[in-house]
Amino acid sequence: MSAGNANRWPKMTGREEFRFLADLVFTRSSGDGTIVTLHDVHSGTTRFANNQVVQNVDTRRGTLAVTVAFDRRHGTASTTDFTAGSIHDTLARAERIARISPVDPEYLPPPEPFPFVARETARPETTAAGPARRLEYANEAIGHCRMENLLAAGVVSTTAASVGIAANNGLFGYEARADARFSLTVQAGDSTGWSAAAHRSVDHLKIQERTLAAIAKAKRGREPIELPAGPYPVIFEPAAVAGLWTWLMWSLDAKSYDKGTSPFAGRLGAQIVDDRLTLCNAPNHADLLGVGLTSEGLPSMPSTWIDHGVLTQLAHDRFTAKTHGVQDVPTLDAPVLSVNGAACGNLQDLIKRTDYAILVTNFWYIRTVNPIDLTLTGMTRDGTFLVEKGEIVSAIRNFRFHDSPLRAFQQIDAATGPMEAVTAETGKMLAPAMVLPEFNFSSVTRF
Amino acid sequence: MSSPTWEEFADLALRRIKASGAEYGDIRIQQSTTEHIQGEDRRIASIRHTEDSGFGVRVLYHGAWGFAASSILSLEEVPRVADLAVEIARGSASIAVEKVRLVEEPVHRDRIVTPVRLDPATVPLEQKTGLLLNTMEVLHDRPGIVRSTAEVWWRRDCKRFESTEGSALDFDLLATNGAISATALYEGRFATRSFNTPHLRKGYELIEETGLMQEAPRVAEQAFEKVSAPAVDAGAFDLVLDPEHLSLTMHESCGHPTELDRVLGYEANYAGTSFLTTDKLGSFRFGSRHVTLVADNTEPETLAATGYDDDGVVCQRWDIVRDGLFVGYCTNREVAPKIGEVRSRGSNRADGWGSVPIVRIANIGLNPGTDTLDQLIAGVKRGIYIEGHGSYSIDQRRYNFQFGGDAFWLIEHGKRTHMLRDVIYHGITPEFWNSCDGVADRTFRRRYGFITCGKGQPGQSGWMTHAASPARFRNVQVIRGEGHV
Repeated sequence: MSAGNANRWPKMTGREEFRFLADLVFTRSSGDGTIVTLHDVHSGTTRFANNQVVQNVDTRRGTLAVTVAFDRRHGTASTTDFTAGSIHDTLARAERIARISPVDPEYLPPPEPFPFVARETARPETTAAGPARRLEYANEAIGHCRMENLLAAGVVSTTAASVGIAANNGLFGYEARADARFSLTVQAGDSTGWSAAAHRSVDHLKIQERTLAAIAKAKRGREPIELPAGPYPVIFEPAAVAGLWTWLMWSLDAKSYDKGTSPFAGRLGAQIVDDRLTLCNAPNHADLLGVGLTSEGLPSMPSTWIDHGVLTQLAHDRFTAKTHGVQDVPTLDAPVLSVNGAACGNLQDLIKRTDYAILVTNFWYIRTVNPIDLTLTGMTRDGTFLVEKGEIVSAIRNFRFHDSPLRAFQQIDAATGPMEAVTAETGKMLAPAMVLPEFNFSSVTRF
Repeated sequence: MSSPTWEEFADLALRRIKASGAEYGDIRIQQSTTEHIQGEDRRIASIRHTEDSGFGVRVLYHGAWGFAASSILSLEEVPRVADLAVEIARGSASIAVEKVRLVEEPVHRDRIVTPVRLDPATVPLEQKTGLLLNTMEVLHDRPGIVRSTAEVWWRRDCKRFESTEGSALDFDLLATNGAISATALYEGRFATRSFNTPHLRKGYELIEETGLMQEAPRVAEQAFEKVSAPAVDAGAFDLVLDPEHLSLTMHESCGHPTELDRVLGYEANYAGTSFLTTDKLGSFRFGSRHVTLVADNTEPETLAATGYDDDGVVCQRWDIVRDGLFVGYCTNREVAPKIGEVRSRGSNRADGWGSVPIVRIANIGLNPGTDTLDQLIAGVKRGIYIEGHGSYSIDQRRYNFQFGGDAFWLIEHGKRTHMLRDVIYHGITPEFWNSCDGVADRTFRRRYGFITCGKGQPGQSGWMTHAASPARFRNVQVIRGEGHV
């Protein structure tokens, strides 16, 4: 299947081609400010269940969006048709909207040109990977499960993208990106085990290691006992930590902060979690999916958001950044959560030193219950266990939780260093496994 | 020279598929136009007009699937994509164990058009932005309101479906929606009250008929009443749930567990599986005798009533739960024969040209009963009346759920009294539906649409409508939605 692939792959929009398309817009635009953005994405996913492929897809979608402003009236139009006629029509639509849209008091002209950092965001092995590579990985995971008489369900996906932003003030940024993802749920009768990976390089998905981990979880999850709902000490694996922290990160927006409708209202500069916790953005980290530029045309730079438990940063758009006097708008595309002075090397070490706790592999369907104190709910999933005297002694039925990360992470008993954390509902970050003294489980389900 | 027509592109792709030796193939060519005007805090924050076009080719080769899609509609790209779909299907077939077999469906040639009285594309933009700005002003007239939103959205999908079996279907579908919200601040707390049209397959007449501005004073007033209301005390309550609230409860606890692909393990790695396993079909008591849930993809103006699904199967009406007994699944041509059914229910839908169709929840609705809303409330000594959507979460087999709402009123001795805040209820799906002891009559029936139902990898957004009359549930566990309880 690999032979002849060169003719199978579409040519992605290149830097100079994007510049040409943007110039097509700028030469005709009558707007005071004109911005052109590019998202040209080629992605493939091989999906398997019950130990065979159930879906195998390849999609290429190129989108060009034009935003035009007359004074502070603005409008945006987009197209997936990159012919000159269509691009001119897109510009005309954006201009038509902008001419009659109301004045937007928060409008800002395009960002000033910036020499964006060139990051290695598109690894050639990932860009070149096609359905044959995905099928090979899927088959490897399925094979391991078949040997154990278990059922595999999962995905192998690869994505290559050309992303760009240009404005009529000279702003120009372009970036080729690629990433690969693998996730697997192993079913052992009524029990499930799960593992996932995401990386810039398709060579770093660690299919065998991840598959064996999911198999071990599934086998250990058989015959769960039921424990009553209530507060328990917990050991969270990195994915469980990431699930909760993602919602915390999504709640950091400055507009809500200013309006008093944020769980952090009035707490900028105050301690919000354990004073050993630090949250950073690390776009240069080789194991994260950091980018060089944002969709607003701003650079992604290293920054600190929570410093030893103290909230030091809010999530700004350009308007709130201006009102707050923030010069460099911080981004959080490559989050790293770390615990200062973490003593334990890995998850097994955490388990060994724990006398009694619930071990949580992952959470599912996390949603906000109360945005005032950031109370969340969600379910444990794909590997929930009772730890006693340093060992996993039993699988337990899944719990629903009802708690706030702002309360739960006030005290950390122990933690590892940051590790890869990928979940189905969030992106990728580095987060430690952690032991917390108390987390509230509010009800139990049937499995 | 004129550009090739969609029919010519389809013919080109289908000829390549047939020549490959594949047993089945289809192509969907689609152009979607979306306008979304979003107001926020007394300003128009965004006006976006989106044109999204492309095509997707699906191939079944030796019992295994391949799919490829592209936004470039040209005489060079169509054969590339068709050949790639075949090549991918061949790869899938190389490790296939159980071959896919599609259940029979007659060949159809048809054209489906949404009846529209007022095309939203022809309504002046100033009229729409003016409506939203004026509505937000009314929301902010109420002291204590600190934030507001107001939006109008519509999408038109022009689509052609052709299959190697000979079906050829043209679609010209429209959906429209308008929504507003107000957030009140009081003693350091905040709360939001919402209202929407909802999403229906109608034109701009939906916005005009609904009267967003007329509803704004009530929405603002209730936002303040909500934030200043006492918090609920945890305990067991009888609940009376309004149709909008029930639409989400039905969607999560009845809709998803009756998707047959989930039941068969296709979604095990993401959306999950289902407690409604095939051995329960026809014998499992899902709810009380008051609970009859009907899937109806034929009801005009509803989102899943598209005439035909993306398998080219006619949209249908069938029972999911009849008098409390679980009797039916949502299916497509692939999974229907796995439970011995001789025809698909026609519930296979993709969210656009770039996505492969998957089994989707139908327009599942709760059949009306015989009571009035007042009669339902009169039968409650200590309970809560809940309107709208709030927090929601459910486990991956759809047993353990937890819901909030948009507004809550305490019911005491048969009367709806004052508002409450922070109401959250939880339960186990069949226990909850078996506690239903009354449904209001047809005059109280309302429909609510969903356009962001997440499922599949890569993720897709499904569209469907859920209709209900208010219903009463006994002895449901309620907790306070704040802090550590």
